[in-house]
Amino acid sequence: MTTAGDQDRESKAAEYLQSLRSMTDELERAMQAIARNALTDFEESIDSQQVLSARLARLADDLCVPLEAQPAIARPQMDEDMMRQIRAADDTLQQLNRRYAALLQHSSRSVALMASFFSSFQGQFQEASGPRSKHQTWSCQM
Amino acid sequence: MPDVIVMGGLNTSLLIGMQALEATQGALDATSNNIANANTPGYTREVAQFSENAETVSGSGVSGGGVTLVGLQSVRDELLNLQIQQQTSQQSSADTQSSVLQQIQSYFSTSNGGDIASAFSGFSTSLSQLSANPSSSAAQQGVLSAGQNLANAFKSAANGLTSAQSTANGQVTQTVAQINTLTSQIGQLNSQLSQLTAAGQNGGTIQDQRDELVQQLSTLTGVSVTQNSDGETITTGNGTPLVMGGQSFTLQTTTGSDGMQHVLDSNGTDITASLQGGQLGGAIQVRDQVISGLSTQLNSLASQFVTAFNAAQAQGFDSNGNPGQNFFSVPANASDAASGLSVALTDPSQVAISSDGSAGSNGNITNLSAALTNALPSGQTAAAAYSSIVFQVGNSAANASAQSTAIGLNLQQLTNQQGSVSAVDTNEEATNLLRFQTAYEAAARIISTIQQLNTITLNMGTSGGY
Repeated sequence: MTTAGDQDRESKAAEYLQSLRSMTDELERAMQAIARNALTDFEESIDSQQVLSARLARLADDLCVPLEAQPAIARPQMDEDMMRQIRAADDTLQQLNRRYAALLQHSSRSVALMASFFSSFQGQFQEASGPRSKHQTWSCQM
Repeated sequence: MPDVIVMGGLNTSLLIGMQALEATQGALDATSNNIANANTPGYTREVAQFSENAETVSGSGVSGGGVTLVGLQSVRDELLNLQIQQQTSQQSSADTQSSVLQQIQSYFSTSNGGDIASAFSGFSTSLSQLSANPSSSAAQQGVLSAGQNLANAFKSAANGLTSAQSTANGQVTQTVAQINTLTSQIGQLNSQLSQLTAAGQNGGTIQDQRDELVQQLSTLTGVSVTQNSDGETITTGNGTPLVMGGQSFTLQTTTGSDGMQHVLDSNGTDITASLQGGQLGGAIQVRDQVISGLSTQLNSLASQFVTAFNAAQAQGFDSNGNPGQNFFSVPANASDAASGLSVALTDPSQVAISSDGSAGSNGNITNLSAALTNALPSGQTAAAAYSSIVFQVGNSAANASAQSTAIGLNLQQLTNQQGSVSAVDTNEEATNLLRFQTAYEAAARIISTIQQLNTITLNMGTSGGY
């Protein structure tokens, strides 16, 4: 017999699965945006990722209430097919997340170098405030 | 541009400010022109570059001389070129490692059933069957056969690692030969370029050829490139010279005491350990660190398991009432433990299942089984220690593959950044770079959340409530 509690869990599990898949799509979108140097797309994806991230954390908390905390009669039945799909979606997400982390690591370094270059270049236009202040140029800062 | 006028105080500052504004206006003009002609066939982009003017000395004070427009875009492109070369080197290294690690993965796969985990499981099952029928010749033979399968599985995995190491070793020699060819060609182009420049001629074509060769060189090994009056100076990441102007320096290979190919610089100094990046760095890293580490762990597992199982044999008696002999044997050299593992017993009746020498006794089965289920000196059971090795192989392969793909995307980003005409607006580009950095910080937090989700998801349906 399916109880209201079972239905609620099934619904949350389905939402969790969907959110995992949406997060996978978002990571893919973010990586492509970085590769295209498309900043606005990347920022939009980050916003979506933050929303999905919060939703996934909330659903994970709801779905992971320890069995011991519930009366035996109220314990929901394990839906093997749903669990299989969730684990498969999580595997895909983790693989992509590993790649995403590597991309951010490499790209962050490139962006930081360029930002440092431009920041130093802009410094050329600042008013000299004392002797030898102009000795700090973009070339020596780099 | 006006000449720098040596004046003190506010006047000097104003002059510097004016020069800066003129320089910026020049950059903006060049940008506008570039954008307007973006689709004009044959149009060559104009560049804006700046240099610091000479400082002015007034009494005891020294003031800067401001900035003059010379060519910012080319400086930015040089920085991007450098980044592209470095990333190309790293991607090439990751590709080389990924290729070798995928070869190794097949030897640790459970799909063919001949792996060590399956063999441990089979050996454990055979002991259970013998325990149920201690006098059964078939059950005794079953233990011997399962032991043989286990020895073969260790041998196969060890040989797989040796084979992969040999592949990587071969790449070292091949890559060094390719590097020498390229550095020689780059040296020749440097000489030609130097002669053309001295004669006041345009060496653009030769410069392009040289850039192409340097790009190829960076796929082979990590290099550092600097410009000077004689042309380019190219060194390895640790500073070993490869090309200085028109002169190239040949790398050599020699067989080391470990049987592996070592790389020597032109003075005969061994620089193997310091080489990083490119196919050469990737091959050396996977050969000397990844595979070496896995081999050490595999040999250690083989050696510790054999010691534990032989000790259990010694505690019992065989079917003929004789004290238990060594079941397995391993070579004296610890580095050959896995590849040289073999079954020492020649007769099934020699399995020491009896605790007192009486026929039909299975009293020693507890000790024999304990060698499989108890922790070895490493602190892990044999199965857990093997799982750890398999995890490392899979993790290293997945990491190398992820790195390669990620660097490929980063290279696309750098190329796009380099080719972006609108990016000449330095203020906009600087602002965008800051926005990128802010977004990266947010992304890093999401990556961490996703990693945590993995643990939660794996626990769902076990300790969790779903």
